[in-house]
This record gives sequence, C-alpha cells and structure tokens, in this order.
Amino acid sequence: MERDLGKPLFDLVLLIASAAAFVHASALPNIDIVGDLSPAFFPQLISAAVFVLATPCFINDLREWRSTARGDHPVGHRRAVAQWLLVVALTLGYTLVFERLGYIPSTAVFTFCCVVGFTVTSGGLSALSMGGKVKALAAAALFAVVLASSVYYVFTELFDIPLPG
Amino acid sequence: MKKLLGTLTLAAAVVAAPALAADYPTKKIDMIVPFSAGGGNDTFIRALQPLLEKRLGEDLVIRNIPGGGGAVGMSRAVSSRADGYTLLAASNAMLTLEAMGNVAFTHDDFDFIAKVVEEPYVIAVNSDGKYKDLKSLVSGATSDTPIRIGSSGVGSSAYITARAVADITGANFNLIPYPGGSEAISAAMGNHVDAVVLGGSELRSALKSGRLKGVAMSYAERSDSLPDVPTFQEQGYDLTLTVWRGIAAPKGTPEAVEQKWVEAIKQIVAEGAYDKTARNLGTEVSPLYGEKLDEFIDHSAEVMSAAAGDLAK
Amino acid sequence: MISGYLDGLEMVLQLGTLLAIAGGTLLGIIMGALPGLTSAMAIALLLPVTFGMPPVMGIGMLLGALCGAGASGSIPAILLNIPGTPSSVATTFDGFPMAQKGEAGRALGLSIVASFFGGVASMVILSLLAPPIAEFALRFGAAEYFSLSIFGLVIIASVAGKSLMKGLIAGLLGFFASTIGTDPITGVGRFTFDQLSLLTGINLLPALIGLFAVSQVLKDAFEYDPSARLKASEHRVDIARPRFLETLKHWRALMAGILSGSIVGPVPGAGGSIASLVAYDQARRFSKSPDKFGTGHAPGIVSVESANNALLGGALIPTLALGIPGEAATAVLLGGLMIQGITPGPMLFDNHDGTVYGIFLAYLVANAFMLLIMCLGIKVFIRVLMVPRKQLLASILVFCFIGVYGVDGDTFNLYLMLGFGVLGYFLNRYNFGTAPVILGLILGPIAESNLRRGLQAFQGDWTPFFTRPISLTFLIIALLLLVITILQNYRARRPA
Repeated sequence: MERDLGKPLFDLVLLIASAAAFVHASALPNIDIVGDLSPAFFPQLISAAVFVLATPCFINDLREWRSTARGDHPVGHRRAVAQWLLVVALTLGYTLVFERLGYIPSTAVFTFCCVVGFTVTSGGLSALSMGGKVKALAAAALFAVVLASSVYYVFTELFDIPLPG
Repeated sequence: MKKLLGTLTLAAAVVAAPALAADYPTKKIDMIVPFSAGGGNDTFIRALQPLLEKRLGEDLVIRNIPGGGGAVGMSRAVSSRADGYTLLAASNAMLTLEAMGNVAFTHDDFDFIAKVVEEPYVIAVNSDGKYKDLKSLVSGATSDTPIRIGSSGVGSSAYITARAVADITGANFNLIPYPGGSEAISAAMGNHVDAVVLGGSELRSALKSGRLKGVAMSYAERSDSLPDVPTFQEQGYDLTLTVWRGIAAPKGTPEAVEQKWVEAIKQIVAEGAYDKTARNLGTEVSPLYGEKLDEFIDHSAEVMSAAAGDLAK
Repeated sequence: MISGYLDGLEMVLQLGTLLAIAGGTLLGIIMGALPGLTSAMAIALLLPVTFGMPPVMGIGMLLGALCGAGASGSIPAILLNIPGTPSSVATTFDGFPMAQKGEAGRALGLSIVASFFGGVASMVILSLLAPPIAEFALRFGAAEYFSLSIFGLVIIASVAGKSLMKGLIAGLLGFFASTIGTDPITGVGRFTFDQLSLLTGINLLPALIGLFAVSQVLKDAFEYDPSARLKASEHRVDIARPRFLETLKHWRALMAGILSGSIVGPVPGAGGSIASLVAYDQARRFSKSPDKFGTGHAPGIVSVESANNALLGGALIPTLALGIPGEAATAVLLGGLMIQGITPGPMLFDNHDGTVYGIFLAYLVANAFMLLIMCLGIKVFIRVLMVPRKQLLASILVFCFIGVYGVDGDTFNLYLMLGFGVLGYFLNRYNFGTAPVILGLILGPIAESNLRRGLQAFQGDWTPFFTRPISLTFLIIALLLLVITILQNYRARRPA
C-alpha cells in the first residue's frame, strides 16, 4: 500500500475544523421562542459528533501510516500532482476573470490553458518538433475559440440563459 | 430554442414586433428577478414578458438571481449601470429587507417605474377547523394555548405582516415560519396550524377549492377577486397593506427610458391584455406611476419597518 | 370519466399539441443532460411561450420538459460519473462502473427503458389515485417530516463506501453545511460572515456540481496519463440500444423504483431528491446479491431510473390535487397552470371538460416522446466518451460554470463549487464518499427545521414525535434498518 500522509492529515483537519465550528456556534445569538431549541443546538450537536467520530479515524489512519513502509512514490506522481494543481489554479483563475473579461474571452483562455497545460505537464509538448508545437498550439486555440463562442451562442440565444457579456 | 419552438407550435403570441422609432431600446434588456424561477415575482414578469417585448421591440432577458431572500439580486440591480438596460422586477420584498436591516441599500436607491399588479395579504383558516372568523381567532388566542399561525420564512413580507396582525389585534399568536407559502398552506390544510397569513395569489387555489377560508384581508376595501373576505378595516383593525409587483430601475435612469416603459405598460393596461392573466394569477392590475407611486412606496416602507420592529437588527 | 378521457384525447391528438410536447421533451432532455441545468430552468424558459396556447398544449409542453429532464440526467451520470441533478446521484453508483467496463451503451439502454416504465406507471397512479394520495400527504406535519428525514438519513449507511464511520462523518459534514445561512425559526444568521450570498444558505447546485463533477475532473486530472490512452473501441457502441427485456427481467428493482417514486415523490419538499436513493436502498436490501450493487449491477440502474421518473408523477399529485408544489420544477409548472387559468385542487378532478384528462394523456405522450428521442440519441450520447480526455475535462468544467452561474448569476457560487470540488476530491480519496454529503445537505434542513417547528407548535413537548402514528412508523422503520445495517456490517467484518 502506498504511504499517504494526507489520510491522517485530513482527519486532523476535520478534528480542528469541528472544534472551531463548535466554539463559533456557541457564540451565535438567540431569540427566545417557547419550545424552540436554540439556533446553536444543531451546529454544536453536529460538530461534536464529527469530533467524536473523527477521533478513532485519525488514530487508525495514523497507525496505518506509521506501519506502512516508506516507499517511493509510483512513477509519474509528480506529474499527477502538477496536473491536479493546474486544474485547481486554472479553475480559480477562470472564476476570478469570468465576469470581468466576459464569457467568450475568459472561457477561450481557460480552455486553451487547460488543453495546453495538460500537454505540457505530460511532457507531450517538448517531444514535438517546432512545427508540431505550432500545430498543437493552433489546434488548442481553435478548439478553445470554437467551444467558447458556440457555447455562448447556444446558451444565450437559444436557451435564453444570461452569461456575462 | 424558444424561437424554434414558437414556430414549431405556430404560437401566434410570440411574433416579433416591428422595431420602434425611438432610440431606446437598441439591445436586449436584462430584467433581474431577485428570486428563483417559479415564485410570484418570476411568474408575474414571465407572463408579462411577451407583452412587453412586443411594445418595446426588444427582447427581455430574465435573470433569476435568488440569493439572500432577494438581497443578492437587488444589490446587483442597485450597482448596475443606470442606462435602462438592467431593470428589476420589484416587490414588497425590497421593503422588508430594508426594514430588517440586512441590506446596504434602501428603496431610495431605485427609480420606481411602475407598479403593475397588487394583491392583498389574507389570513385564512381551515374550512373544517374550529375557528370560523377573525373574531374567534383573536378571542381563542387569549387563553393558555396560543393560536398557531403559519407563514413563509422569517423576514419575508408575509411573516412581517403576520407580526403586524398579531400586534394590531393584541392576540397571543404563535408565529410558525415555513420555508415558503406552499408548505404553510399544506400545514393549514392538514390542521397542523390554525391559520396562515400569506399573499392572496399564493392562497388563491386553496381558497377557490374551499379548503381554506379567508377571514380577513389587508385591502382598504373589499375586492372583486375575493368578494367574501372582509377587510381588517371593517372588522375594526387599522391595517392596510398590499403585496405589489412592478418595475424598478437603478437610481439615475434617464427620463426617456422611464417614459418608454410607462408608455408600454399604460398601453398594455389600456388594452386589457394582461387582465386575464393577472386574474388567473390571483392578482389585480392596479397601475401606479410617477409621484403617486413614490408616495405609495414610501408609505409601504414605513408600515413594514414599524411591523418588523424588534426583529430588525 | 371515459368521456372525459375521450375529450382529453381529442385535445392531445392535434398536430400543434403533439409538436409542442415533443419540443418540450427535447428541450428537457438537452437541459437535463447538461450538468447544472435543471428541469425547473427548462420549464421557466418555456413558460412565456405557453402564454396564448390552449391549456393542454401549453401544459403538455411543460410536462414534456419535466419528463425529458427527469430521464436525461442519467446520461452524464453514467458516462462521466457526474450527476446533473440530486435525483441522479444514485445513478452513478452502478451506471458509471458499468460504463467503465465498456458497457455504457447497456447502462443507457437500461436507464431509458426504466425511466419510461417509471413515468408511465406513475401516470397511471396519478390518474387513478391522486386525490386520496394527496389527502395522505396532508397528514404530514412537522413530526412526520422530521421522522421521514430520520428514515432518509439511515440511507447514508447504505450509500457509504468502505467505512461506515467515515460515511457518517461525510453525512454530518453535509448536515453541518446545511445549517449555514438564516436560521429557519429565529431568523438569526449562522456562519454567514456578512456574505449576502450565504443568507439563504448553501445552494444545493454548486455543492452537487462541486462534489461530483469538479471532484471527478480533479481525479481524472490526477490520473491523466497520455501514454495509457483508453481506446475508443473499448466502448462498444453496438450494445447501445434500449433494453426492454433486460429491464423487465429485473422486475423487483423496477417495482422498488416505481413504488418508492410514487410513495415518497408526493411528499412536498422532501420526496424529489431522496426517492431514487430510497429506491436504490430498497432494491439492494431485498436483492439476493446485495454485494453486486455498486459494481455495475443492472438492478441498481433500473431501480434508480424508474424511481426518478416515477417521482415526477408523484410530485404532480400534490401540485394538481392541492396546488402545493413539492420542489422547484413543479413550482414553475404551477405558475404555468395558473397562467392558463387552471386552478389546481380537488375539483380539478371532478371537472368534466376533459382538461385534466388531457393533461394526464399529455404526460403519457411526453413519456413516449422521451423514449423515442432518447432511443434515437443513445448512439450519439455515447460518443461523448470518444472526445479526447484533455478537451473533455476542459469542456466539462466549462459546462459546470454555465450550470452554476446560469441558475442565479452569482460568482460566489462558482467559488463555492470549486471549494466543494476540492473537498469532494479528498473525501473520495480518503474513503468518506460524497453521496452522504448530499444526503446530509438535503435532509439536514428538513430534520432540523421540522424538529424545531414541531417543538414550537407543541410548546416544547417531545411526545407527539412518538405518538403520532405516521411519525412513529417512520421512526420504527428507521430503527429497524439501522439495526439490520449494523448487524450486516458486523457479520461482514467477522470473517476477515
């Protein structure tokens, strides 16, 4: 089995988050209504339950992590992480410029970066000759522009769904 | 798709009208509905959409921006460019949000173009229940067990009206908020609450089917749409409120734009093109423009903020 | 009644009406297949068009959209592991594994036919039993809703992955997320951090799209390996056809779906999203081989998809018989009915002009069109899998953005979607699972608000939750299911 520190770490995050949520919930204001439980009742109940359930998970996962031999990551792990981060970063960037740049430019740039980004991280681009590189970039650009403008047209004109102009 | 279907189904109602002479509008107009599709505000404007498009000669694009009980959509409308291409389907909700103190804008940040329809708030009981009229509700509520009154969510205009009813009658009402009008109606039909306070259009089918019985409504005088329901006024309580729906624009919208809209709506009203739909939706066409409208809005805002009382932050 | 049906038939069998229904169904199928776009949006879009049409024609078109979207949500769920609506979450459990075996065509074929049977069966139930079922639904007060939600929460145990405890944690996370926003009883803001968009709480759609679609894209991105290209030929197009006989062979699962959809569907506000999960849970419990569920097992798909379209008929019951819409799509539909001047209520069913029968028949026709269009499209849908991975991943994200932004034009929800995507990725990676989160998010508010609403109405008295018969029944069933699950879990673990 692969040694993964993330597993116990995620449990730890849950423990901390549930404790923080519990404390935060205890500061919620209340309005007295006959028979009503307070607004803080459920958030506190749930965060306490998460804390109780996550504790054994954390202990288990930590034990499992310590007992698993330290091994090298499988081939391509670094590339996988890079691709994962690429998608998160691009999606975040896309959200940031979505309304500011307008639909077609932001979507075209996002799509282009996604496609080219995957080619780069997987080492596909450096394997290509100069002409091949230009061709690959042109194909990605074409795909991006066609996708963005056709989607924009279909949704705003045919489906009447408003998108940032 | 809409156009395609229109042709497919030979629906004569959606024919594009010839372009109008004046400059405005030259492109599509965004109409912000600060609620999700299917609510009273949304149905009101969608039913009006084809009529308006015909008179304005441009497409209306309805944007449902529902967050925050209307707060997100209205904030968006306030901060849009006042060029007449972003308008708001306005209603009482704006005034209740203002009264609750949850939002950064007030009704003064808008130019009100027109009030188109209105409906009363109605307090209704189960027809088979033990309370038959407002008097028995009020007197029943003074004993040990308070009367359970259902309404829509805390802070909604119906909920605040329910509080106003409780205040003005002095009765011991246990106000139970439901997520929306339909949940409250089903609770009243199932005898899980003793009465509901809601807008007349939400209650329309329940009243028409005889499941629920209206015991008082918030118009100044009786209405043709609910001839059997007495007003609060005639039962001795000074409460006059209406649920209104209309069109508003961000402050500073050009006079010409406003005129264009007022003309279009006046025309629709004069032709009676919207009367039947409005009636079917449980509302009445009762247009108001200009200064009279501003006075009306100011007055409603005062009543709402008084009723919100200690609920407000 | 027979003359009513004949009048209704006359209204439906007109070229314009048939075309309107077909058009509505087509639009519904397209919108339903795109993640994030919902049947409610399809109906809202068509609403102004129905203005000026005769009632059966206009309502028929809206019902077509409802029916089409109800069936086509399974397409992305099966092909890409992305449910477009809460009700197709359960479709991914067996649909996607089957597609991964190269049998996407078979999964689609099963789901189409099961949807059709579910839709038709619920139409029959709707036309025969609507008034009494609606009366029964009225008996649901706060206590009953609370107990129903507890019954629903027990399903978490069934949809949890390898670890029951981690599944429970995931469910609680969803429950906690549902408490964000304005408190339903006092109106106090909870965890809103002065964010307007959070006042009404976390929207289900960005959470759903994030937890399922974005997390799946992240997983695919992590695993993307250009050297290990999936050959297009591995997806067999030739098996992509409607599967009538195979669906009927799994008649138990089909019945479980139809019954769950028709019984849970009519409960306003609660039924829509959980009926298919209840169906999956029941089909699995009463199966002779429960272990095969979740591995691409045909009855899993049949039960969920038949429930999905049966619940639409179920949801129409309170809408038509009481004027009480259960969720967004029927709420918009109700607006359509009112514009037409049709007043829902018991007298709609006593009406002799045939309109209501026309509506029933129009719904039947809509189901037939759904079957036809989906059968024609099945070989087209499956080609989605032949789009190269990197272009496909980018396009999926593009559509997710449209779905989430298109519904309410709020960029805040795009950030929320990304946040849920990252959370969902780790939840899946560390065996918590994402389906329980959605269940918690849907059922949490029903449980909390009804418990507190009930206590407020009963003046702080807890006993009605246990003395009211329907409420008690749900609680007992929930307890029994819980005990059975724990025993099964215990037994499954002992040999190991």
